[in-house]
Amino acid sequence: MSRLATTLQDLRALDALAARSTPLARRDARAKLLVTLCFVVTVLSFDRYRVAALLPLALFPTVLAAQAELPARTLWRTLWLACPFALMVGIANPLLDRAPMLVLAGVELSAGWVSFASIALRIALSVSAAVVLIGSTGMPALCAALAALGLPRVFTVQLLFLHRYLFVLVGEAQRLSTALDLRALSGRRVGLALHVSLLGQLLLRAFERARRVHQAMLARGFDAELRLADPQRWQQGDSLFMAGWCAYFVVVRYVDLPQAIGSFVTGLVQ
Amino acid sequence: MNPPAIVLQALVHTYADGTPALRGVDLCAMPGEALAIVGANGAGKSTLLQHLNGLLMPSSGSVQIEGMALTRATLREVRRRVGYVFQDAEDQLFMPTVHDDVAFGPLNLGLAAAEGQARVQAALSAVGASALAARATHRLSGGEKRAVAIAGVLAMAPSILVLDEPSGGLDPAGRRRLIELLRGLTQTRVVATHDLALVLEVCPRVLVLHEGRVLADGATAELFADEDLLRRCALEPPLGGWARIAAAQQPR
Repeated sequence: MSRLATTLQDLRALDALAARSTPLARRDARAKLLVTLCFVVTVLSFDRYRVAALLPLALFPTVLAAQAELPARTLWRTLWLACPFALMVGIANPLLDRAPMLVLAGVELSAGWVSFASIALRIALSVSAAVVLIGSTGMPALCAALAALGLPRVFTVQLLFLHRYLFVLVGEAQRLSTALDLRALSGRRVGLALHVSLLGQLLLRAFERARRVHQAMLARGFDAELRLADPQRWQQGDSLFMAGWCAYFVVVRYVDLPQAIGSFVTGLVQ
Repeated sequence: MNPPAIVLQALVHTYADGTPALRGVDLCAMPGEALAIVGANGAGKSTLLQHLNGLLMPSSGSVQIEGMALTRATLREVRRRVGYVFQDAEDQLFMPTVHDDVAFGPLNLGLAAAEGQARVQAALSAVGASALAARATHRLSGGEKRAVAIAGVLAMAPSILVLDEPSGGLDPAGRRRLIELLRGLTQTRVVATHDLALVLEVCPRVLVLHEGRVLADGATAELFADEDLLRRCALEPPLGGWARIAAAQQPR
């Protein structure tokens, strides 16, 4: 299967996963969205040289992924897709920041490597939280939650269309790629001119298809208002869910849990 | 007396690039009528259909739906009355699950949850797709997608149903189910298709379009018996040939 087909399948898999009834899927979308935002803010608020202190935050995506019954494979694949981005953001750090910072198992690590690890970990945490959010809520419900939280309709509708047209674009790209593979001589490289032409074709075809999808939505009365078949209501459990996780984030942010646990265990041993 | 379901008067449509698609089409369809629109590729069938629920607006001429003129102001009401099933069912399914997709239209009509739910179940049952409700839309077969697309439109309870190439891509069993479904509906039905065998079974009246003009409008069996007319419009008699058409001409 081509890489494009795999990407399309992964994207669709998240939507299909969100449609299941799991303990997390039954939570109000606004509660999940707000908690995830708090989580990302907490992750980003750490100093760039802190790595160990971030580790307890991995509990959040792990517990939520379990509650959402998300397959670990889906999570890993998405993290793998985010790898190049993490590399791009942090790869210059080890080269620019060479001051020695710590010694780990006899190996001296520069501050650049530590900050690179911190960036990679923060991206991994944020991406996994976002994947869990989408995989347990679905884009239509997520957009409706954003609208309910006061985000202007123009943004929520754009987001919904962006999500829908992503499938259109990847689907068209997959068809073009298959057509090319079937008629390209094996082993021969395809020239730049052909790639440019393919890109143009892709945009034109995706545009045409997107127009038809939009027409289909208009034909069924779409007026840029997001309405859900099963609108959720905020319940006491949602308040507890939010309060519990936010309290945990505050503790992790202001108490260095790994160090505290390390000191406690060392004290016990001594 | 009820007004005609559809009235088109001197309908002209020219695309933005200057391509003329419709060059003065007149049509009157009565409530409950099943009408087919046939013609070669590029004859203007899909363009005509898209005027019936305001996806396209006329360059000149007029469109009336159940006595109401199609304007920007009446667009919402027109779309409530005219259900449109697209040529490619894939374009029409955009929600993650079958249930959510079929519920999309009723929710946009502002129906209460219970009524919307009842409509979703009734529409899925009408197309024999109740078992698919929880399925992801991208996991359906071609025939299932077509059935769900029709259910999505039926759930809006339109009084006029417009279908663009409804039998395209269906296997024989799926096509047979579609024919039975279309025959069983009481709404006004307008079907644009190349499938003349389907037309023979579903639509007693046919409109032949050629280069944006109405070349013929009359009883299906009579028009399909006109070999010259079919040839001019790049059409072929249905499988079974003239004998089948002759059989269709016999009173049922």
